[in-house]
Order: sequence, then structure tokens, then C-alpha cells
Amino acid sequence: MSVYDFSAKTNSGEEKSLKDYAGKVLIIVNTASKCGFTPQYKVLQELYDKYQDKGLEILGFPCNQFGAQEPGSNSEVQQFCRRNYGVSFQIFEKGDVRGETAQPLFKYLTAEKGFKGFDKDHELSAILMDALKKNYPEYLEDDGIKWNFTKFLIDREGKVVERFEPTTSPSAMTAAIEKLL
Amino acid sequence: MVKVYSINNCPWCDKVKKYLQSRQVEYVECNIENDEAALAECQALTGDEAVPVITADGKEYVLGFDKGKIDVLLGL
Repeated sequence: MSVYDFSAKTNSGEEKSLKDYAGKVLIIVNTASKCGFTPQYKVLQELYDKYQDKGLEILGFPCNQFGAQEPGSNSEVQQFCRRNYGVSFQIFEKGDVRGETAQPLFKYLTAEKGFKGFDKDHELSAILMDALKKNYPEYLEDDGIKWNFTKFLIDREGKVVERFEPTTSPSAMTAAIEKLL
Repeated sequence: MVKVYSINNCPWCDKVKKYLQSRQVEYVECNIENDEAALAECQALTGDEAVPVITADGKEYVLGFDKGKIDVLLGL
């Protein structure tokens, strides 16, 4: 099994098989427009600009499950990404990424790579943990996605190589990406 | 001059701004979504791009809405 066994709807409603990305290195990330981590879009786009020619693709999955920070429609999300962060990588339809209602792709990703904690050195880790304990204690009980901008790195064979929590900037993924390209 | 680096419609940024207002702290808001230079400045300061970021001298900063740390930073 690999990520190529899954499909998802793009932001414009077109069904897309992840097989279309076979042979590419992928970053799959759940996103939101009104989050303290939202500026990671900018860094993700910089990675895309830098490595697209070498075979990197980025797949963004907007989700409203974390603090309701993605309330807009699919077209509003797309417009936001393009206008504020110059995003040109593929944005998919808004949907759930954790729990029973999670898209199958995300159930697979989190089963492959579980939660190992937020980055201890990051100033927002404690705040994020407090917010989860207070508002979503059940989110802490499993390996599911904990917050916006959890990033999965996928190799050229569609295998999940590594999971990066929101508290890791995409810029810190550079070495791991280069290793796969 | 106290600076708050923020983005549009971010609840944590709003909490920081409301808190500073409640403590009568004057601040300048630097929106890193609308202003590339502000984003570069914020990234240089924190080595990251998360918000909100609060700073008084452009060297010491607090990332996130943490009243205790903000109080210490600003001597409140």
C-alpha cells in the first residue's frame, strides 16, 4: 500500500488520483487560513519554487477541524492562498483530516507515522498543548493530526518517510527533501 | 516602540492585541501577510514564521499569546 492507492478532490472539484504523482517527492500538508502557523504557506511555496524542477510536489488540504480557522469556501481558500502567499501548488477541497470523518488518505498517513510530540524547543508547543487539553482533549488520545500545518514527506515510491508537526517550519525540512530528490 | 507581528483574522494575534490594549500598551502592528518586509523582519527575529510575535527592542521577543512572558518582556 502507498499514497498512490488514494484519491482526493481538488479545490475545483475534480477527482484526482495520487497515482498522478507517481515518481515525485511529495509534501502533504493540512492547512488553514487563520492560524498562527499560516505563514508557513510562504515557506512551502519557496520550497516548491526551489525544488519543483527536481520533482517536488506539494499537496495542501484545507481543514476546519482545528479552532475553526478555515471557515471559508473552497474558492475563498484558493483566493486567499494565491493572493496572500503566492501559492501555486495544488490545493484540494476542504475536508476533515482527523477522527472518524477523516479523509482516507489522512487515516493512512497518520497510521503510517504517528504523533511523537511537538518540537520541544518551539515556543508555541506549550501553548498548543494547553489549547488542545482545554478545547480538544480527545485529539491527544490518538495518532491523528493535532493541528494545522502537519506535514508528511513522501518518497518517489509513495511511501511515507517522515511526519513533521506544525511546530517544525517547512524550512527545517530542506535536508530531508534533498535526500529524497 | 512595541511591535506586534500578525496576520489577518488570526485569533491568537487578536488576543495579544486586546491584551496589550487592556494594559494600555501602545504598539505598532506589522501585518506579515500584507507586508513582505515585515515578514522578512519577523523571520530574521525569530528564525521562524509563526505569529503572533511581540517585541520591544527587536531583539528579545515572545512568540504566541503567553501573558506571563509578555508581562516579563514588557515589564508590565
